[in-house]
Amino acid sequence: MDIVMYVLLGLGLLFFTGGTLGLIRLPDVYSRLHMAGKIDTMGSISLIAALFLHEIETFDMAHLLVGLKILLVLFFQFLASPTACHAMVNACLRAGLAPWVKDGQRSDP
Amino acid sequence: MKRLALFTVILAGVLFAATASEFPRLGDPDSAPSRHLSPAYIQGSLPQTHTPNFVTAVLGDYRGFDTMFETAVVFLAGMSCFFILRALRRRGLTEVYYYRHKPTGVVLAMLAPRRISPRTSCFERIDADWTPQDMVVETMCLFMVPFIQVFALYVIAHGHYSPGGGFQGGVLLAASFILVGLSRDLRTVESLLTEKTAILTAAAGVCLYAGTGLLALFFGGNFLDYGAYASFFGAAVPAARSMGILIVEIGVALTVMATLVTIYKLVSSRGTVEEGL
Amino acid sequence: MILEIKIAMLVLVIVCAVASITIKDLLGAAVVFGTYSFMMCLLWVSMAAVDVAFTEATIGAGISTVLMIAAVFRTTRRTKD
Repeated sequence: MDIVMYVLLGLGLLFFTGGTLGLIRLPDVYSRLHMAGKIDTMGSISLIAALFLHEIETFDMAHLLVGLKILLVLFFQFLASPTACHAMVNACLRAGLAPWVKDGQRSDP
Repeated sequence: MKRLALFTVILAGVLFAATASEFPRLGDPDSAPSRHLSPAYIQGSLPQTHTPNFVTAVLGDYRGFDTMFETAVVFLAGMSCFFILRALRRRGLTEVYYYRHKPTGVVLAMLAPRRISPRTSCFERIDADWTPQDMVVETMCLFMVPFIQVFALYVIAHGHYSPGGGFQGGVLLAASFILVGLSRDLRTVESLLTEKTAILTAAAGVCLYAGTGLLALFFGGNFLDYGAYASFFGAAVPAARSMGILIVEIGVALTVMATLVTIYKLVSSRGTVEEGL
Repeated sequence: MILEIKIAMLVLVIVCAVASITIKDLLGAAVVFGTYSFMMCLLWVSMAAVDVAFTEATIGAGISTVLMIAAVFRTTRRTKD
């Protein structure tokens, strides 16, 4: 149980680190939103799942109730954050932002 | 002007820093409120009002007057927004309504007096800045709405035992309506909670709060003394207080919800509750 | 709560407060103000005032941001000063 929890925590932190680096370093809005989506879904979900495992380590009714609430948070996070990301990308496309391309290549927005 | 503002801000900051050093530390057991006032509430709220969360007890019962007038202030804010922003009659602007033929996607623009009845099912009214609806966002937002409302009701009803209460629950209810407005359009919100209903609901919330307080006079108690309802509910005095707090929180939630939805409608549609965000 | 996290939150509150009144783009200012409210909410939680934090999270970070964005959408996005 503990090992799974540590692996999930490490995974979440890995996604957070990579996502934050990408958010700072990547060139245009679409790739940055891609990284933000990684942070929102994978990073948060790994951390919340680790929290859930930590909560139900002592298994009784009270801890199970709190753990179920944490699972609900995970569920809604899993639904809401990709939707928000999708809405933002959609709005960017509607606003006519051209995607970044490498120098010398043809850009077709 | 800018320099004057900066000077004022720095002066206020220095004064605040000078006075803040005199404050008791956070959670200091020897400070004046921690010696007399806080223990009275912390130890008294459970036996006196059957409310383990003493923040709710203080808000709803011990300091009931404050919360009543806060609710009235929220209602007044909504009414002021209504009177300032609402464009009751638009002179000089030609009103154009756009209708979209659903099977073909052809858009008709019609000048104001003429309009297509909403009962003809193959045309739908659209905003001037309409873009094709995104199915993912709309589906997900409408999927979330019932969960938000259930959570809001939980927050209102469970405010005695956990953080929450009327204000938070009312804001969450308003947020569910605003989510509908953001994912679809303002007319859907308007059909769910019309302007008239919203304002009447806001007034009803204030009246529910004040009426609960006033009714206590007829049961022989003081104003806002819910313990007087003990004979009416057939319960002990602390349980009656707990019930009274619940009724009052429902009133607060109604007012906050209706007021925030009204303000959102007015702000997002330039005062004509026609085409929104 | 850990002292370093508290200090980081306080610094973020100050940064967000200064940023939200200096940014020229009003939409960005509204979003930064939402961040400020959320940081305040975390600060209330760190002081164990959960009710206040709940109110701040719903009203400050939720509704007022939406209202401000709606107002920006209906007026202008650039400040005069």
